Amino acid sequence: MIDVDRLTKRYGRFVALDGISFHAGSGEIVGFLGPNGAGKTTTMRVLTGYMPPTEGTARITGFDVFADSLAVRERVGYLPETVRLYREMTVRGYLKFMGQLRGVDRLGARIDEVLDLVGLRERARRLISSLSKGMQQRLGLAQAILHDPPVLILDEPTIGLDPHQVQDLRALIRELGRTRTVLLSTHILSEAEQICDRVIIIDRGRIVAEDTPANLREGLTRSSRLFVRVGATRGDTAGLLANVPGVTGVSPAADGFLLTSAPQANDVRPAVASAIVGQGWPLLELRPWATTLEEIFLELTARLDAPTSDGGGTRHA
Amino acid sequence: MRSVRTIARRELAQYFTSPIAYLVAFAVLVLTGWQFNVDLAQRVGRQPPDGAAVLGAFAFFTLFFAPLLTMRLLAEEAREGTLELLLTAPVRDGDIVLGKFLGAWLYYTLILGLTLVYQAIWLAITTARAYTLTPELDIGPVITAYLGIWLFGGAALALGLLFSALTENQVIAGFLSMSVLFILWLGDYAGHVIQSRALAQVIRELSLQAHYATSFLVGVIRFEDAVFFIGVIIAALFIATRVLESRRWR
Repeated sequence: MIDVDRLTKRYGRFVALDGISFHAGSGEIVGFLGPNGAGKTTTMRVLTGYMPPTEGTARITGFDVFADSLAVRERVGYLPETVRLYREMTVRGYLKFMGQLRGVDRLGARIDEVLDLVGLRERARRLISSLSKGMQQRLGLAQAILHDPPVLILDEPTIGLDPHQVQDLRALIRELGRTRTVLLSTHILSEAEQICDRVIIIDRGRIVAEDTPANLREGLTRSSRLFVRVGATRGDTAGLLANVPGVTGVSPAADGFLLTSAPQANDVRPAVASAIVGQGWPLLELRPWATTLEEIFLELTARLDAPTSDGGGTRHA
Repeated sequence: MRSVRTIARRELAQYFTSPIAYLVAFAVLVLTGWQFNVDLAQRVGRQPPDGAAVLGAFAFFTLFFAPLLTMRLLAEEAREGTLELLLTAPVRDGDIVLGKFLGAWLYYTLILGLTLVYQAIWLAITTARAYTLTPELDIGPVITAYLGIWLFGGAALALGLLFSALTENQVIAGFLSMSVLFILWLGDYAGHVIQSRALAQVIRELSLQAHYATSFLVGVIRFEDAVFFIGVIIAALFIATRVLESRRWR
């Protein structure tokens, strides 16, 4: 549904996107992850037909975003990074306007449907200027799904929402993503883990990693790690653990130790447990130490140079 | 066409939700009303009625209030960021420009329509018994004057829309369009200050006043004058569309 091929976008001499390629199929929720100024918003603006690419092509449901811009825009629902709506219109008036622009059939009924989905039904007659930031965000989402588009592009959709609304919105996006292609950007990593089938990590205009959240964790964990916590002892715990067969390293961590073992080694947990219990020490905790997406992200986007290169550049409107 | 209509309708509704439109309507009615009152007092019983007289003043006021109507059309959307969702809707850039122009022109037409009250007053006076000595209102020149002022307003609004596309700052858009309209209005007087006959002639041809005050206003429909105003409208809207398109490349 979304096919991006060597897409490049330059603003003057600043390279915002440096030849990125990716694909997103129907029924897939793809997360776009990256630090500020990485090129997330620029990519989305190219995909929604807001601005043309400098080089490369992007296709949505087979239509080129530049050559068939209108066809693309008909099939895409877009929630921009900063949702700006006509403040002096009412909620319903605004959706009516957007629906008419898009030629939505049975518009009145569809507006009710969408307002129910985003939970703004009671506010339908209120002025947009009187809505809270979270409600405006949800109204932004409402206009994005109003015409029932096969492709949804959401730029940081949960920003500015309270925790309850965030949960509701994530559930809604998962629901929408079952039959559509959803591309969403976020810098909240747990969000990407929670809702995305696939994550693309982008940094300084390049894709640095692309996989399922689980695989990303797996692949980047070069060795498996265990967390061990032992009750008070007088013995040399670290020394004992280091001698357990299969353990390749021991490092102290808060309240315990972090063990590393060879990647292909058998599970060392039984050996570790029996070694500790054999000494008569109390074993309080023994569990696999999962690498979080957070760590992967930091590792991948670690800046070699000073943070001055963070030139923004995506907000060029 | 559907999107043009949708955008025009929104813009028209917009005028009625903002105070500026009411202020403009109020100011125009006060000024033209005063003008009409003076004219009426002079003519009744002495000169034949001239329904178009009040429109001469209306044309002049248009220089000032047309920019007030157009300055926000695109500048505000760019500044507020609402343009992003409009430019990613399945609407051609030209349709956006045309829709906004038609919305403003429609509002202008409504304000212009308010001045019909003066024509009604003339009709009432000239058909009333008390003033049988006053000749009847000659309706022909009135109709051409209205047609002319309507085209004139369209050209002023199209130029204003162009300046609104050029900047994100409404005040600058309004000031620039007011200045340009004023200069074009004064083009008639170029001959007084410019030595070169040819140059003065060219500038005079661009004068908004010459194409209105000496033709439509006095009951003449000249093909070239109608073409002039329609040409200005088309050219300004075309350039405004190009300017809007160029935003995408920045």
